[in-house]
Amino acid sequence: MTNSHYERAGALRTAGVNPRLSTPQKLMVFVLSMALFGLANIILEIIPGPHIGPVDMGVSNFIFVPLTMVALFSPFWAALGAPLGEIVFVDLLMGDFSGLSELEGYLQMFLALYIAGSIIRNPRSKVQIWVGAITVIVIDKFLSAVVDLTKVWIGLEDAEFVEGLPESILFLEGLGFGVDVVISGILFGAIPAMWLIPALHGKIEPLMGMRPRVPGEPVPGDAPRTGWFVVVAIAIAIGSAFFSFLEAWDIEVGVFEAEFLEQYGMSFLWVAFGAIALTVVVSLVAYWLGTRGKEQPDVGAADAVAKAEAEARKEKVDA
Amino acid sequence: MSPIIQVSDLSFRYPGAGADTLRNVNLTIERGDFVAVVGGNGSGKTTLCKTFNGLVPHYWAGDFAGEVIVDGVDTFESGVAELSAKVGYVYQDFMNQLVRPTVRDEVAFGPINFGHPDHAERVAEVMEQLDLEPLAGRFTWALSGGQAHTTALAAVLALRPEIVVVDEPVAELDPARAHEIYRSLQWLNEELGLTIITIEHHAEFIAQYTKSVVLMADGAPVWHLDIDEAVNRTGELAEHGIPAPQVVQVCSALGVERSPRDVDTAASLLTSRGLTAAPVEFAARPREARCVVAQTVDVHHGYKTVAGDVLPVLRGLNLELYAGDRIALVGGNGSGKTTLLKQFAGLSVPRSGEVVIDGVNTRSRPPGKLSEIAAYLYQHPQQMFLKDSIRNDVALFPSGRKFEGWEAIVDEVLRRVKLAEFADRDGRGLSGGQQRRATLAIGLAMRPKLLLLDEPTSSLDVSSRDDVTSTLADLAQVIECTVVATHDMHLVAEWANRVIVLEGGEVAADVDPRTLFTRPDLLTRARLVPPQVVMLGARLGMDPLPLSVDELVASLHAGANV
Amino acid sequence: MARKQRDILSVEWIKLELIRTAYATRGGLFTIMDPRAVIIWYAILAFVPWFTHNVTVLAGLFVLGAISVVIARVGPLVLGLFIIGLGFEIIYLVIASLMFGGNWETLIALGVLNLKLGAVSMASMAAFVSLDPEKLSDALLSFRAPHLLSFGVSYGYRMLPIMVEEFNTVFDGYRLRMMAPDKPGFLAWRTIVHWGKMAVLSFYPIFLNTAKNVRTTVEALETRGFTYAQSDPRGRKLRLAYLRITPLDVAVLATTIILVVGCFWLGAAFPVYR
Repeated sequence: MTNSHYERAGALRTAGVNPRLSTPQKLMVFVLSMALFGLANIILEIIPGPHIGPVDMGVSNFIFVPLTMVALFSPFWAALGAPLGEIVFVDLLMGDFSGLSELEGYLQMFLALYIAGSIIRNPRSKVQIWVGAITVIVIDKFLSAVVDLTKVWIGLEDAEFVEGLPESILFLEGLGFGVDVVISGILFGAIPAMWLIPALHGKIEPLMGMRPRVPGEPVPGDAPRTGWFVVVAIAIAIGSAFFSFLEAWDIEVGVFEAEFLEQYGMSFLWVAFGAIALTVVVSLVAYWLGTRGKEQPDVGAADAVAKAEAEARKEKVDA
Repeated sequence: MSPIIQVSDLSFRYPGAGADTLRNVNLTIERGDFVAVVGGNGSGKTTLCKTFNGLVPHYWAGDFAGEVIVDGVDTFESGVAELSAKVGYVYQDFMNQLVRPTVRDEVAFGPINFGHPDHAERVAEVMEQLDLEPLAGRFTWALSGGQAHTTALAAVLALRPEIVVVDEPVAELDPARAHEIYRSLQWLNEELGLTIITIEHHAEFIAQYTKSVVLMADGAPVWHLDIDEAVNRTGELAEHGIPAPQVVQVCSALGVERSPRDVDTAASLLTSRGLTAAPVEFAARPREARCVVAQTVDVHHGYKTVAGDVLPVLRGLNLELYAGDRIALVGGNGSGKTTLLKQFAGLSVPRSGEVVIDGVNTRSRPPGKLSEIAAYLYQHPQQMFLKDSIRNDVALFPSGRKFEGWEAIVDEVLRRVKLAEFADRDGRGLSGGQQRRATLAIGLAMRPKLLLLDEPTSSLDVSSRDDVTSTLADLAQVIECTVVATHDMHLVAEWANRVIVLEGGEVAADVDPRTLFTRPDLLTRARLVPPQVVMLGARLGMDPLPLSVDELVASLHAGANV
Repeated sequence: MARKQRDILSVEWIKLELIRTAYATRGGLFTIMDPRAVIIWYAILAFVPWFTHNVTVLAGLFVLGAISVVIARVGPLVLGLFIIGLGFEIIYLVIASLMFGGNWETLIALGVLNLKLGAVSMASMAAFVSLDPEKLSDALLSFRAPHLLSFGVSYGYRMLPIMVEEFNTVFDGYRLRMMAPDKPGFLAWRTIVHWGKMAVLSFYPIFLNTAKNVRTTVEALETRGFTYAQSDPRGRKLRLAYLRITPLDVAVLATTIILVVGCFWLGAAFPVYR
C-alpha cells in the first residue's frame, strides 16, 4: 500500500474546505480567547501594579494576548470571548463585578479588539500588528477617557462646581491615557505581539484543526454581513456611551438645583434606561439577522480561499 | 453476531493537509466485540475512531469519501449529536474532556443536554456500576488520573451507547489503574454486551483483555484478526512498533510455538514442557555509596488545603543520595514523590528541616541558581517546551549562563539523545518518545550533578519507553546521581540500582530492585505492577527473581541443561 | 536572606483564595438562597443608589452594603483589594484636586461619590462571592442569557485552577532555566524587566498547550450535546428544575426592600445634601 498505487475508491462526498467556520470552530475560538485573556487578567491581578503618585504605572491589560487571538483567528469570535474572560475570571471571581459599567467595558473592549483584528490582514506584518495594538488601546481607553472628559467639560460650565476636580480629572485621565498607550499598548501590546503572532502563526491553527489565516484572504468567520455589522457597531457605541453617562450623571447633576432634580432627574434617568434597552434590542435583532443564513458558503469567497491556499503552499515550498 | 460498524472505501483528508490520512479503509466490527486498534504514529488510528461518532466529517470537515455505517446509520447523513447516543468516546487527554465542576454534574451533563427525562436514573445507574458514588461531589480538577478517567467513561456511558471508544487508556495512568480500567471495560463488554474499541500500544494489555486486533498502517487496516491469531503475529506487530509481551518473548526464545496471552498461561505452558528454572547467580547492580550528592535532614513539608489547614506531605525524611546512584522513587498517589523532587530542585524549601545539595543548603539560593546543580524535568514534556524549537529549548539554560562553548554543548547533547535532525522543530510536533528524549536533552544541557525526573516513561509505547530507558542508562557517564519518580516497573527492573518506596511521606523501604519484587506487601501498597517476567519468575518459584527476559531465559536454559 | 516556606502572598495562597472565593466555601447567607433571588437582590441594591443624592440615604445604603458583606463572609483577599482600591482612589483624587486649588468641598463631594460607589461595590461583592459558578450560570440561563455566556461562566471557573497551575509550571520553568540578572539595578528595575519578560514569554507555550486542550474540550462538548441543547429546550428545563424560590428568599428580599425604603424614609426625615 504505497503512495503511488493509492487511489480513492469511495465516492467523494464533500469537497474542499469550507471557508466558513463551523459552529464548534467558533466555539473553540471563543473558549480559547476567553480562557487565555482570563488567565492573563488573573496574573495581572496577582502582580501588584506599582503606583507612581496617583497614576497606576502597572499594566492594565496584557493586550498582546487577545490581540494575538484576533490576529490569528476569526476577529469576531475572538473579540467576543476575550472580554468575557476578563469578566468571568477576574471581576466575578474577585467580587469586583460592577454591574452596568462592566457591560460598558465589555462592549468597548469587544469593539476595540474586533476593529484591531480586522485591521490586521496579514499576521506577519509588523506594521499592521503595531497599528492593531495601538488601535485597541486607543479605542478602548479613548472611549472611556472621552466620556470622563465630557463630564469635566460639562462641569466647567458652572463655576460653582467643585473647584479643582475637573482639572485634576482631566490631568489624571490624560496622564493615565498616555501611560496606558505606552505600557499596555506598546510594552505589553505591540512589542510582545510582534514576536508572538508570527511565532504562533501556522503553528497553533493546526492544533485546533484549522487552516492558518493567509494574508489577504477574507477573514474566516468574519462579522456576519458588513452592513449589519455597521449597524450593530454603531448601536454598541451608542449603548456604551449611555452606560458611561449613567455614571457621569452623578457629577453632572451637581449643576442643577435640587428641586430641578426632584422634578426631572428621575425621568431623565428613565430616558437613559429606555435608550439602553432599545440599543440592546436593536443590537440583538441586528446580530440575529446578520448570523441567519450564514451557513451557505459564498462562491466568491471559496475561490479566493482556494487561490490563497495555493499561494500558501507555494510559500511553503519557497521557504 | 451481526456487524455494528461497517466501513467501506473510506478515505479522509484533513483540511489543508497534503495527503489523505485514511486511505480506502474497509473494516467490519461485530456487535459485542472487544477490539484493539494498533499501529504506529500517523497510521490513522485516532482519525478512524473519530469517524465512528461522526466527529469526522461533521466536526472535522475535510475530503470525505466512502461510507461508515454505525448501527444501521450512515454517519455522513447523521450528525454528531445523534451518533453520540450510539458511540461514546473517551479521549487520551481525558482531563480536558471533563467540562463540569463536579463528578455528578459531569456525568449528568450529556443526558441533561439531550433532554432525557430519566437522566437521574441514568446517572445513578452508571455511578453505581463504576463505583463513583463516593466521588459524586468532588471537583473534577482535583481528581486523580484514574478517578478522572473513570468519570470520563461514566459520562459517556450515561448516554447509553452501544459502542465505547477508548483512546490509549494506559498512556496517562499508572499500570495498576490501567488494569482496573481494562477490567471495567471487560465487564462492560461481557456483562452489558457493549462493543469496546481501544487504541492501544501495549501488547500485554491487548493480549490479556481484547478479543480482536486491527493493525493499521499508512491510513488503512493491514489486517483484522482474532486475538489468538494476532498474538502469534509477533514479527509483524513488532515491525509496527508493538513489541510482543515479555511472556511471549520468553516462550519464543525457548522455542515454545504457542504464544501465551498472560502470565498464568505462560507459567502452565512452561511447566507442561517440563522447563524448570535453575538457580543462577544474576549480575548484581553495584552502588558505590561513598560520595554524598544530596541529603535531606528531617524534612517536613505540606500544603495548605482549601479548608485552611496544612496537609502534611513529607514527614521527617532523612535521605542520603550518593554519586553513582540510579534511584527509582516509587509510591502511590499522594505519597510525596513529586513534592520530594521539587524539594531537591529547590523549587520550594521545606517547612522544617534542611535539604543540602552538593554542600549547598537550598535555603541559601534562589531556584534559578540551584538549577545549576540540580535539574528538574516535569512530567509533561509540553510544559518543558518553552521555545519554538528543540534547539532553542536546550540552549536556553547554557546560553543564558554563557557557558564556555555552549553551542558545542547543545549539539553534543542533541546528538546524544538522537534528535540532531529534529533540532529545529517545535517539541510539540514530535512523537511521544522524541518529546521525552528532548526533555532529557534539556536536562543534560544544564549539566547538573543531580538530575530529577518525574515519570519520564509515562504515556510512551513500549519501543519509545525502551529508548528512554537506554538513554537514561547512558547518562550515568555525565550525571552523578539520577532520581526518577515512576510507576513504571520495567524502568525499575532494567535501570535502577536503588529503589526508595515512599508511603505517606515517609520512607517505607530503601532497597535494590530485586528485593522490591520479593515484597508483595510493598508492591500492593505502592500500587505497583511488576513486569511480566518478574511475575513469571515468581510463578516458577525462582529465587532470586529475574529482572529481564534474558535473565529468565538463561535461568530456564540452565534448568534444562541440568 | 534565607528562603522560607510562605503560605501568605505566594502563588499557592492566591490560588487557594481564588478557589475558596469562587466556590463560596466560606458559607454565608446568600449561598443557601436561590441564585435568581440573589441576583434580584443584587439588582435592587445596585440600582437604588443611583436614584438619590441624599447623603443620609446613601449612608444608609452604604451601611446595608457593609452588613451584607459581613453576612456573606467575604474573604480577606477580596475585601483587602476593595478597601485598598477605594482608599487609594480617594487619596489620589484629593491630592490632585488640592494641587489644582480645590478645597474641603472637594473632599465632601468625593466622599459622597465614593459612598455611592462603595455601596454598589459591596452589594456586588456580597452577591457574586456567594454564588458558585454553577448557580450563577444556571441563574443566567433561567434569565435567558445567551447559552455561550452561561457556559463560559461555568467553564471558566472549572478551568481557572488548572490554568493557573499550568502557568505556574511554565513560569517556574523559566525561573529555573532563564538566567536572572546578576544585579537588581536601580529600584530593582532589572529584576522587574526580567519578571515581565518571563511573564510574557510564558504565553507562547501557554497558547499552544491551551489550544490543544480546548480542542479536546470542544470536541467532547459536541459529543455530549452542548450544541444540541441550544436548539432543544428540554435540556434547559431539566437543568433548571432544581431552582426553587423558598420562603427564605422571599424573606430576604422583603427585608431588603423594607430596609431600603427605611433608608429613603430616614433620608426624607433628615435630608442632608452636600
